[in-house]
Amino acid sequence: MRMSVPLRRLRQAPRHLLVCEKSHARHARSRHAAHVRDHAYNCRVSFLIPECGTLPEVLKSTIADVGEYYLLRNLSLHELVTHEFIDTFVKKGSCHALTYNTKIDQDNTAALLPTGKLILSVDKDTYEELGLQGRPSQYSGKKVMRYIITIDLMDPSFHPDSKKHKRVLWALKEKKPLEFDFLLAWCNTGAEGSTLMSYFPKNQIQTLKPKITFSTLRDLQCPVLQSNELQGKPEESCSTEELFEWLGAVLNQVSFCYFDEPKLAHWLTLTVHGFADSPVSWRESEHGFHKGGENLYNFVVFRNLDYWLQMAVGTNDDCPP
Amino acid sequence: MAGFADLNLPAGPDKKGLQSLLEAAARLGYSAVALNHVIDFKEKKQEIVKPASPSELFPSLPIVQGTSKRIKVLNRLTLIVSDPSHCNLLRSTSANIRLYDIIAVFPKTEKLFHIACTTLDVDLVCINVTEKLPFYFRRPPVNVAIDRGIYFELLYTPAIKDSTMRRYTISNAISLMQICKGKNIVMSSAAERPLELRGPYDVANLGLLFGMSESEAKAAVSTNCRATLLHGETRKSACGVVYTVKKPRKVEEEETTLPACKKAKTQA
Repeated sequence: MRMSVPLRRLRQAPRHLLVCEKSHARHARSRHAAHVRDHAYNCRVSFLIPECGTLPEVLKSTIADVGEYYLLRNLSLHELVTHEFIDTFVKKGSCHALTYNTKIDQDNTAALLPTGKLILSVDKDTYEELGLQGRPSQYSGKKVMRYIITIDLMDPSFHPDSKKHKRVLWALKEKKPLEFDFLLAWCNTGAEGSTLMSYFPKNQIQTLKPKITFSTLRDLQCPVLQSNELQGKPEESCSTEELFEWLGAVLNQVSFCYFDEPKLAHWLTLTVHGFADSPVSWRESEHGFHKGGENLYNFVVFRNLDYWLQMAVGTNDDCPP
Repeated sequence: MAGFADLNLPAGPDKKGLQSLLEAAARLGYSAVALNHVIDFKEKKQEIVKPASPSELFPSLPIVQGTSKRIKVLNRLTLIVSDPSHCNLLRSTSANIRLYDIIAVFPKTEKLFHIACTTLDVDLVCINVTEKLPFYFRRPPVNVAIDRGIYFELLYTPAIKDSTMRRYTISNAISLMQICKGKNIVMSSAAERPLELRGPYDVANLGLLFGMSESEAKAAVSTNCRATLLHGETRKSACGVVYTVKKPRKVEEEETTLPACKKAKTQA
């Protein structure tokens, strides 16, 4: 009978993906640094240290050293494409920029990767008015409603007199001027030069520091993990999926009952959440928002420096690298 | 995807109530809403009134939550037709009809449903969710409507208010889905109070209950609403391509000027 079709769809959750891998921190081919570097836009970092009453000093000082970021209001997009900006910030050090208060599934979004690539995720009307070449979004379906335009600012053929640069500047300045609020972060490689604060007018830019909170969870039972057993052993240790679920519940402060007795743990976790509305997740893989925009990774580090790396993405996302 | 839109907020005389509805919609994430003026021909003679422009009604529009843009307010006209003679109003060149952004029709009989899908110049065909459908949907008129770019509207607020209507909503929606396969559906609220509004992602989840796929359900609150608006705009233009704009001139008489490219052609 035809009635079964809608009911079958209800049993399926929107597509989501969890990739787990294990390695050792000092291993030659360990990709932990590369993974962290490739995930450019992160809005939240959480540490969970079991069996730990006070925070270690090393961790406290590292957290206190976390740099500042900037909020720029009403910045015209063509300002990021001018050669003055490119030479001052993009070429010297790594510059991250992401539009603030834009939804990736509804509005136009822009992001500047530290590699110098400017990614614009625009809706159909804006794309047709802008006149720059792009490709349809992977998560668009038959009727394409979203396009991705990538402009490589570090490309040698993008110098001030080239046709490419003139076209991009014309499109962003005159054909369809786009203005956004941006979140900016710049890591200077030590060269002398102006800072972001001095480059932009004072009333436009605002310095912000990440908000840090500490909380001690008492009477929390932690799962037992064995570093070489990703799948877990029944009655002995938990699998990565179980750990991921438990961690999600803890970080969201959901009350739950997983275990019967408390067990000692020899690991800690570091979870990094990406922005739900960022146009890219890892490197340049397109990121979309269907009913959720998760793109996060979680390191589980053991005493012997073995680590598990879990990467999770939501529906409109590519498989993480 | 386009921004989320709710194309059915009943436009009552109560301005404060409308303002609170708008604020609730903006808080939930809707970027556009349409104020619905309903004309029911069964009641004594009704005339199509000129809709008040949103800037007059609401001095300051609320900002959509999570963005920095203000909510967009449009005007919509719904005609409840139970007799073929009622459709004559649409065919007449009443000046007031052109002031509405979206025109919808609510057919009460099968014959009128057929007429609405195949010949009437409307953007939305409303589907009854408050009582058992008096007729079955047939494939030919529904397919013609889909080809013409007409969308079918399903309301969800009656389902919130009453459990009997909930059953009718789901059964009517599922029987429509079997014919149209989830295409050309728009879901809107018809909410009279802010409590009856639901967020766009929740409405998209309701679409899953009706039998739409994930992407069709999300499109029913975003992309399809945008398409309906564009369909309404084409009514104000010639073949959907050429717009005429009244340019104010110093001379007393008003003239309509054609876009520059067309002028060049006639000169050549």
